[in-house]
This record gives sequence, C-alpha cells and structure tokens, in this order.
Amino acid sequence: MRSLSRPTLMLAAVALLISACSGGASPAPSGAPTTAPTTAPSGASAAPSAGADVCTAPTAKAGTTLTFASYGGVYQEAQRKGWLEPYSKLTGVTFTESEDSSNATIKSQVESGQVTWDVVDVGNDFGLEANADVLEPLDFSLIKKDEILDGFVGPYRVADITYGVVLAYRTDKVNGQVPQGWADFFDLTKFPGKRGMYDYSAGGVFEVALMADGVAPKDLYPLDIPRALKKLDTIKDQLVFWPGGAKSQELIGSGEVAMSLMWNGRAWSAKHLDNKPVEIQWNQQLLTSDYLVVPKGTPNKDEAMKFIAWATCAQNNAAPSQYIPYGPTNKNSKPQADKIPDLAVSNVNDSTAYFDDKWLVDNAKPLDDAWNAWKTK
Amino acid sequence: MTAPATSAPGASRRSRGGSLINGWAWLALPTVVFLVVFFIAPLILMSIRSVTDPPGAGVANYREFFSSEADVRVLGTTFYIATISTLVCLLVGYPYAYLMTIVSPRVSGLLLIFVLVPFWSSLLVRTFAWEVLLRDTGIVNSLLLSWGLIGAPLTLMRNTLGVILGMSQILLPFMVLPLFTVMRRIDPELTRAAANLGAPPFAAFRRVFLPLSLPGVVAGSLLVFVLALGFYITPTILGSPRETMISRFIADQVQTRLNWGLASAMAVILMALTFLALIAASRVVRLRDVYGSLEDET
Repeated sequence: MRSLSRPTLMLAAVALLISACSGGASPAPSGAPTTAPTTAPSGASAAPSAGADVCTAPTAKAGTTLTFASYGGVYQEAQRKGWLEPYSKLTGVTFTESEDSSNATIKSQVESGQVTWDVVDVGNDFGLEANADVLEPLDFSLIKKDEILDGFVGPYRVADITYGVVLAYRTDKVNGQVPQGWADFFDLTKFPGKRGMYDYSAGGVFEVALMADGVAPKDLYPLDIPRALKKLDTIKDQLVFWPGGAKSQELIGSGEVAMSLMWNGRAWSAKHLDNKPVEIQWNQQLLTSDYLVVPKGTPNKDEAMKFIAWATCAQNNAAPSQYIPYGPTNKNSKPQADKIPDLAVSNVNDSTAYFDDKWLVDNAKPLDDAWNAWKTK
Repeated sequence: MTAPATSAPGASRRSRGGSLINGWAWLALPTVVFLVVFFIAPLILMSIRSVTDPPGAGVANYREFFSSEADVRVLGTTFYIATISTLVCLLVGYPYAYLMTIVSPRVSGLLLIFVLVPFWSSLLVRTFAWEVLLRDTGIVNSLLLSWGLIGAPLTLMRNTLGVILGMSQILLPFMVLPLFTVMRRIDPELTRAAANLGAPPFAAFRRVFLPLSLPGVVAGSLLVFVLALGFYITPTILGSPRETMISRFIADQVQTRLNWGLASAMAVILMALTFLALIAASRVVRLRDVYGSLEDET
C-alpha cells in the first residue's frame, strides 16, 4: 500500500465534505431529503463513466443463492441493510449469511474442496499474492477498479469499507487536555491511566509506537521492530490488551482505560450507542479497510463477481455507512451528509498513516515472533 | 498401600473382566467406536500433520517451536500456572473435603451443593464474573475505594493472581470430589484408635488420616493439573500476555497464521508432556489404585 497516493485521498475527503455541506445547507433540488440513503440515483451523476447496468440495473441468474460471510454484529447488519437487502430486491438473489469470517475457514474450505462461502469480507492482512492459491482472481471487466481509492484494490481483493485505527480517549480522564497524537498516548506523565491496545502484531501496534517515537507516517516501512518495542516498553505496565473490537469498546466504556487504540466504529459506538464520554483523535490515524474476496472453486463465482461489482459502485458503496461509521472505498461515492464527519476517509490529513499490507504479510512471521516474545516477557 | 492389598483387587478384576467380555461389555462398544473415530483417529492424523505440513516438513515444525523464544516461554508458563492452580486447589480443597466428612450428612450434602453449583454454570460466565469483580473499576476495588481503605485501585487481575483465582475456582470441584470420595471411606475409628493410644490430634491426623487420604490427593491433583494444562480463555481474560498459555498460541497458529503444521506440532508436544507428567505421577502412586478407588465403592 506504499503506492497509495495521499493527495487523491485528501481530494476525496474534501469532495465528501463539500458534498455534505451543500447537501445539508440547501434543499436538495431532486427533492431528496438529506437523510436519503446514498444509493439515491443522484449519485450516478458523479460517476458518468460508470456502466449503468452493473451498478443500477444488476441482473442475476434466476434462483441464485449467495453465501456472504462477514464479521457479524452491527457491522454485518449494516452490510445487510446497505447491500444485501437492496441487491436482493433488485436481482432476486437470496443471501445466506455467515457471521464468522476467518482466513482459516477460507483455507480449510478450499483445501477440502467444500467451498460454501461465495463472497467473504476479510481484513487487510488477507487477499494478497500470498493467498493466491485459495482465491479467485476478481473480474475487473465488471468491477470498476479505477474508481476505488488508490492502493485499495488488488488482483484478488477489492476494499468494501474503510475505517481508521485511531486514538480514542475518555474526556473525563485527560484533565481537560486533548491528546494530540500517539506521542501523548505514550506520555504517562501528561496523561496518567491505562491504555487499551490491540493484541495483534499486524494491527497497528508497531506503527503507533514508531509514530509516537517521531517517525513520519510515510517513513514507517520497513518497520523498525526493535525501536518500536523499546518505545512500547515505556508503557508496558499500563497496557491492557484486547483481542477483538467488542472488548475495546467495553474497556473504554467502563473506564478501565483512559485511552485506547481502537477501530473508529467501536469508539463511535462507545460514544453514541453506550453514551460514554469518548472522543476520537483523528491525527495519525491508520487508514485501512476490509476487503471482499471470492474463495477459489465456488460454484457461484460469476454471481459473486456481479455482486461485488455492484457493492463497490459509486451509487451503492457508501450505503452501510448510514448504519455504522465505516466509509466508502469508491472515490465517487457519497455518504449520507450527517455521517460524513464520523468517517475515517473524511478525516484524512497530512498526519494520516497507511498500512503497507504487502510488507506486513511478507514479514508476518518475524513480526509475530517479535510481538509474542515481547508481550510474554 | 502394601503389596498384597493392591494385588488382590487387581487379580479379582481380571477374572471378573474375563466373564464380562461376552456379555455386558458389548454395551461399551458404541463408546469405543466413538472414541476411536472422533478421538484416536484425529489425534493420529494431527500427529501425522505435524511432520508432513508443509510437505516434507519432518521435524522442522518441532525445531521451529523449540527455537522460538516465545513458544518455549509460554510452554513453561503453562506448566507453572497449572502447578500453582493445582496446589491452590489442594490447599483449599483438602480442608473442605475433610470438613465434609466430619459434619452431619445434611450439612455435608449442603457443602457438596456449594461445590457443585458453580460447576453447573459455564466456564465463560464464571470467568467474566471474576472480571467484573477484580478489574480496576470492578466491585472489589470500587468498595475498597469508597470505604477509603485504598487510595488507588489494586491490581487484582491481568496478572498471575487473577488467573490463579479464576482457574482454581473453576477447577476446585475436580479436586474436592475425588478427595471426598476417598476420605469418606476412611474409617473414623482409626483416628480415634490412634488418639486412644496416646497420639495428639495432629499426630493422629498426620500419621493415620493423611496417608490413607493420599490416593484422593493424587487423583484430584492429576485431574486438576491435566485439565489446567489445556486452559485457554480464562488466562486470556484474567491474565496479561505474560500469563499466555500454550492453547492460546495453538489457536493463534490455526486461526491467524494458518500454520496448521506448527499448530499440530505444538499440540503433540503438549500431549507428550502431559503423558510424561502422568507417567511421573504413576511412579509415585499406581494410577489404577488411584482411579480404582473412585470406581469401586464398597
């Protein structure tokens, strides 16, 4: 993801904000209320190049059932309401869902020849060349590769939603100050209290330690592992590790930690759904995404490709962001105006960092070994 | 525990077994088939995978395990935590089981229920309950803070203390039940006789009751120790990464790293060491006597 062009993203973010402001300030000429879903046809005008058929009038073979696997919870519910249900209405495709997406399951399905998942939502650590033997190459005659944010699409995967790995903090535990970035996260004198941290070597732990130590976002890779661990040592006794998103939300919600590295959707949920005094510092966020992939050997390959093409179209891609603040990946997509401030893509600035997925996957073993050796010591 | 005493029941069991094979023993067939298909066969397949995945692996997975600083440390932690949990269970369980044998049958039944009730709720529920009690913003710390007994929250979890508390409570029934089964069959007249012959109470206990209860101690300790070796979720929730146990690492290899060869090797290593522990224990006490004492109630 080193090839990712930040100016493009910033432009996209600015465009989103402008469209939000105009949409919110003046009555929409088309008569669409500002709360209208982003799938409104007006979005089509922003993408004149988009082939109308795949995006606006998708078709499917009669009687098709697709199995969609994702991570469950509010997240999958947003994908269901934003994508699966509308797509069913348009095409007659029925969806079976699995809520326990995992790279291991894809591998075991392909290895055993019993592929039951057709479209799978996976994390940014999967779907690269390293996994080519278990994935179908995507059909880019249908999927509009050029409209996807630069660096967020590859031969076997296309990003479906964007999110940020952010610094979230309790407003009642920072003595009236605002932590400005990861340096403050590591500053126990200025901001006493425990810190929540993702227990996953490729989840941003090394990146945030390096940024706290003064490494510029663009210079993160190749990761200087010893330097990152040395920085992490300075707050090790105050770290509380979380294995998954729900736990991070609970840790900051209960006040066990004063700050946490979190996914922006979980921080948003802590604030808006659990009504906890939680805010996000967007500075130095790690912008990343989930991806859609197709396991190798699925009998519904063609229908899976059509669905993926439709879900990543400008008109449809932002639909789940109505329900959870995980943003679009299509540059021309227009999220609902009042949701825009909460999206990671809208908060991109000079300090924004990006994972280098290829480096992380190629170096997964040494990275994991270093992390395990450090954390168990 | 003298030689003639142990050989006699063994011989009688063999002769009884001979006559059983033709009749009632067939009832065990479904269980045997089930164990072979769903337990023995997968274990064999897993062991094979540990030397064939990736193709031509040989001992590579084992070499990788023993050359990894974290893997070896976590294996050590696993045995350390299992040992401490067993000792804590024994320290708490022994007096408790002893108490159950000296009170009236009604009180004894009540005490038994106290041990068993937590046994009926899921391990996960009890682990989360411990978390609600022990965390910085938990019930214990909140109370102590509001009473002014402490100025800052005590660290009761995310350390070895939390893990041992949680695991010991979950494992306690496996210690108390074997102990109680053995202790209730010890004739109280024996201790009384010792007292009559002039032994002070503690000496009577130490020289008469304690040796007779040893099979229960070994049975309970082995059960608790072996179960503790496989713990996974409790150390993750109540401990810090420093208390990570090997099952967690195995799961990581399966789910995150997709390295099933190494995961298989780790499982084989854990299994082999567990067997070694059992063999070591069997040199101290004959396992058949220990578990035999559980089955043939007289």
